[in-house]
Amino acid sequence: MMSRALVPLLVVASLAALLAACLLGSTAMSPARVLAGLFGTGSSGDAVIIWEIRLPRALAAWLTGAALGASGAALQGLLRNPLAEPGVLGVSSSASLGATLALYYGLASLSAFALPVAAIAGALGATTLIGLAATRTSSVVTLILVGVALSSFAGAVMALALNFAPNPFSLSDMVSWMLGSVANRSFEDIALAAPFMAAGLAILFLNRRGLSALTLGEEAASGIGLDLKRLWVAVILGTGLATGASVALAGAIGFVGIVAPHLVRPLTGHDPARSLVPSALLAGVFLLVADIGVRLLPVTGELRLGVVAALFGAPAFAWIALQRRAVT
Amino acid sequence: MSLLSLRDVSVSAGGAALVTGASLDIAPGELVALVGPNGAGKTSLLRAALGLVPLASGTASLGGRPVGGLAPRERARAASYLPQTRPLAWPNRVRDLVALGRFAHGAAPHRLVGKDAEAVEAAIAACGLFSLADRQADTLSGGELARVHCARAIAAGAPLLVADEPVAALDPLHQFQVMSLIAGYAKGPRGALVVLHDLNLAARFATRFIWMKEGRIVADGPPGETLTEARIAEVFGVRASLSGGAVRIEGPA
Repeated sequence: MMSRALVPLLVVASLAALLAACLLGSTAMSPARVLAGLFGTGSSGDAVIIWEIRLPRALAAWLTGAALGASGAALQGLLRNPLAEPGVLGVSSSASLGATLALYYGLASLSAFALPVAAIAGALGATTLIGLAATRTSSVVTLILVGVALSSFAGAVMALALNFAPNPFSLSDMVSWMLGSVANRSFEDIALAAPFMAAGLAILFLNRRGLSALTLGEEAASGIGLDLKRLWVAVILGTGLATGASVALAGAIGFVGIVAPHLVRPLTGHDPARSLVPSALLAGVFLLVADIGVRLLPVTGELRLGVVAALFGAPAFAWIALQRRAVT
Repeated sequence: MSLLSLRDVSVSAGGAALVTGASLDIAPGELVALVGPNGAGKTSLLRAALGLVPLASGTASLGGRPVGGLAPRERARAASYLPQTRPLAWPNRVRDLVALGRFAHGAAPHRLVGKDAEAVEAAIAACGLFSLADRQADTLSGGELARVHCARAIAAGAPLLVADEPVAALDPLHQFQVMSLIAGYAKGPRGALVVLHDLNLAARFATRFIWMKEGRIVADGPPGETLTEARIAEVFGVRASLSGGAVRIEGPA
């Protein structure tokens, strides 16, 4: 069965993409040199390129994708709509807002953890707002529109906050957070975000069965023994942590959380619980391959990873919206 | 022991009384038809019995245990619920949907073993879904979907089955099939409480009628005693004639 081979296949693809990311770049390196650099047996220059530049950047891209893919799959399961995603629901931009505020109001210089914590606080604020909105409406379309408003609002507040910021700033910094990039990430950056990401993903994974139950709708899901409030809290917390940490690492990157689960779903019998892990792996591979493309494209200046994600993701989003059919 | 017991249960929402002072008991082997006009409080009564809405007053217990003290899964193991609206978010496979009936037993839909697998296969067989088991839900007809939901509720194997208009919008053959399934389930140690609008269908299958009007239970007893022309007029506001157990609605009372 396809669904059984899916996870091993995606793990292999992830490893292959990580290796490719180490091989490819502005300095052409042979596989032998890459391996020697990886294990520290080659020249010190090679080891620096692999361990300080290519590998952390590749891991950052993969982790960001994985966090967004799992968050997207979980939100789609919770809201029972294939268009729900951290970017669409305004979670990513709220996390960007948190990160920018921490940067420009000097919090980030107090502690290394201030930036990820501020990004996660922004993300949790957004998921909590969506959760509160959900207690007032049962329409998912309304919730998505609330998310769109939240996204615009966070962008506006970010621009406003920068106007009043006590520290000098550059527009390109803000653009970085809005568009997302994993350029120049180090293992220290990853170490700061990864524990939050892992906690968020673990919460989502442990609560995945509730998402399957919600297939039947809230009334019947309660009937078969689902604790609906607990599931909401878990998904709000899990996606807030995972998305916030991914934004702290890479800025706001959209659409990958929609596209990966959409492709995975038919291969897992449309079961939201079973889609969670493959969605994370596939989204990781997507962002990693996109980032390799970003590095290799012969353009002047750096092309942002988030730009590439949106270039492919936004049309896919529209296409998925048009495909949508619900069973009643 | 009573599968379900309500004592003076009242439910209100937004200041409006939906159910007032309702008391009833359901014993093993009973198939109880809950009948009454739209807005009589039937669905609210079911939801109160299952602990899905808070009680304004009174007590509800499932299998002798107060429903408020039960964890969601314990409650689901005591009573299986087939709600009136049954939206499906994703086009899951039929077998996986039926397997969700085992959720309260801790079963994961795609990894069924032992009792869970047996219960799911038995429910699939009982509902005649064998040839459809690997189909996606969005390829099924209304009648087939109704049987899938029924199988899901049956697979739970709970002592009490609570169904809210399980045959709404079904053709006569499928109505008969679904009611036969429920009647087959409500035997021996198990019972069922079913909201029905078709009095003939209710008379054909139910061992007891509970009549509701304006939030109150107005009559409770076997169809032979409580299904009368006068009661139909009182509860539904229609003139009806009974001949040979068949109900004929003739017009407004």
